Amino acid sequence: MRRDARTLLPYVVVALVAVAVLTVPLLTADRYLLRVLTFVGVNVIIVTGMALLFGYAGQVSLGHAAFYGIGAYASAYVVVELGWPWLAGVLTAVLVTAAGGLLLALPSLRLKGHYLAMATLGFGEIMRVVFTEARTVTGGPDGRSGIPFPSVGEWTLDSAGANYWLVWGAAVVVLVLAANLVRSRPGRAMRALHGSESGAMACGIDLVGLKVRVFVISAALAGFAGALYAHVVGFISPSTFSLHVSVLLVAMAVLGGSRSLAGPVLAATVLTMIPFADAVIPGLSRSALETIQSFQEDIYGLTIIGVMLFVPGGLAAALRRVASPRGRER
Amino acid sequence: MGTTELLQFALAGLKNGSIYALVALGFTLVYAATGVINFAQGEFYMLGGMLSVWAYADLGLPLPLAALVGVAATALVGIVFELTAIRQRKDGDPLALIIITVGGSMLLSSLARHLFGPNERALPLFSGGGNVSVAGAVLEVQTIWIVGITAVSVAGLWYLYNRTALGRAMRACAVNRDAARIVGIDTRLMVTVSFVLAATLGALAGLAVTPLTQTAFDVGPSVGIKGFAAAILGGLGNPIAAVVGGLVLGMLESLSIAFISSTYKDAIALIVLLGVLFVRPQGLLGRSGREKV
Repeated sequence: MRRDARTLLPYVVVALVAVAVLTVPLLTADRYLLRVLTFVGVNVIIVTGMALLFGYAGQVSLGHAAFYGIGAYASAYVVVELGWPWLAGVLTAVLVTAAGGLLLALPSLRLKGHYLAMATLGFGEIMRVVFTEARTVTGGPDGRSGIPFPSVGEWTLDSAGANYWLVWGAAVVVLVLAANLVRSRPGRAMRALHGSESGAMACGIDLVGLKVRVFVISAALAGFAGALYAHVVGFISPSTFSLHVSVLLVAMAVLGGSRSLAGPVLAATVLTMIPFADAVIPGLSRSALETIQSFQEDIYGLTIIGVMLFVPGGLAAALRRVASPRGRER
Repeated sequence: MGTTELLQFALAGLKNGSIYALVALGFTLVYAATGVINFAQGEFYMLGGMLSVWAYADLGLPLPLAALVGVAATALVGIVFELTAIRQRKDGDPLALIIITVGGSMLLSSLARHLFGPNERALPLFSGGGNVSVAGAVLEVQTIWIVGITAVSVAGLWYLYNRTALGRAMRACAVNRDAARIVGIDTRLMVTVSFVLAATLGALAGLAVTPLTQTAFDVGPSVGIKGFAAAILGGLGNPIAAVVGGLVLGMLESLSIAFISSTYKDAIALIVLLGVLFVRPQGLLGRSGREKV
């Protein structure tokens, strides 16, 4: 009986949080707050992929902003220039980024060590140049504006609340799928390879295949998030998809901690809110906000270093300690 | 295309290639000592330029002294970064160290923006203006400085590596860290030394180009990536390969501007990087690095 209650508890907590997140638009009409929370939802989708890659497969990508951008530009291009429906744009974004992820991951993950970090860094910078120079597709340095709101048939999601529901609905679905993935056979295999690569190999786990699949999933999730972002915001430019953003995504995954989804989601929420602190702290003065914004890179950099040095488990370890107070590591 | 024009492009390639070589040496020295890619290497290049400008324009020091202050201060930053961040991660887990250098890169460039402002800044040319004519092609005197500084640095590094006890200890450390420790080499000290050398070389590169290209708080990552591509191209961990990689990359970039277009010149280094990673990850001069269980 006690055992049942213990195993049910996480599901109850997750369900309550999901309900709370999805009822926010009913509780507030603050459009700025809803918009900021929508950005959080977009980052939650990307960071779920980063959490699988970093926290479970033990790989780091310094180029996920590029996949985010490819998704955004791909969807914007086919919808605006080719007149495709929005859903087709999202599907294009997911397929293109998954294919890109596969092309990049296959050669780099065959090598031992951290070649993926280097390859993704190079890839991200190439894409930054492409976003700026391929004007006919991307609109050049000024970016692409006038991207229509998400719509299915006659039905257009053109309010802040509707966009919030779209993004967070998608985020909840992504999280549920990811949670299922890490509990299933591939998830156990990922945990095994995080423990010991040779040990996992000895158990008959196809290391390269597994890492490639996780990378493709994370790239496709970033592309999916990019497509959502492009249509919700209506404007995209190369600076939204810079190296800076890739590093911010790494900071979220690192702060979140390994072998966890809840930790990275919490980290994404906190780090995304930092430059928009005035949305949640009423009465925050203009100058205080500007100070926070001018120090956000310092905060991200210090967070990355600090977590790696002093709290290697990140927020996930802290959450686990709260969940099982007797300090038993699962 | 005439030979004069071709020579002009080759000179430009030599200039950029020298810079990439210095930055690549920084990557390779730290990699040899720690097995880690230092993603903050580009920030040492940025600091070399920015701190020299600060010493020259804000403190009013004469140029040679300002240059010395800039390079020495960057070396100090290298020591502080190694002691306060890298060394504190006791288990030396490569993934953790790589992520720490990524955070350090962001922190250093942001601190530079707070201290020196967001604007581009420049130094005067080291020996006034003026050009030299080489078989019809124009050679800026500053380019001679750049190539000269690189040549002297490489020679100095060669001497250190081959003729001093410290250099031999560093080489032993690069071959096998555990064995080096057993024979009494302080491997932790070697890591610190590698960071000092990497910071110094990066700073020299940043210092030498600032009169031509100006500098700013955010120039680090793009130069870092090119230097890194050069180090990979030559073969990571081997100083001579880093220099060769830098010069080859500079030439390739220059030739791509001459024969293809300048639009995608920044992408050339990265395409080379990906190409080498995929086809020949041990680099041009490296031996096959295939690991055996």
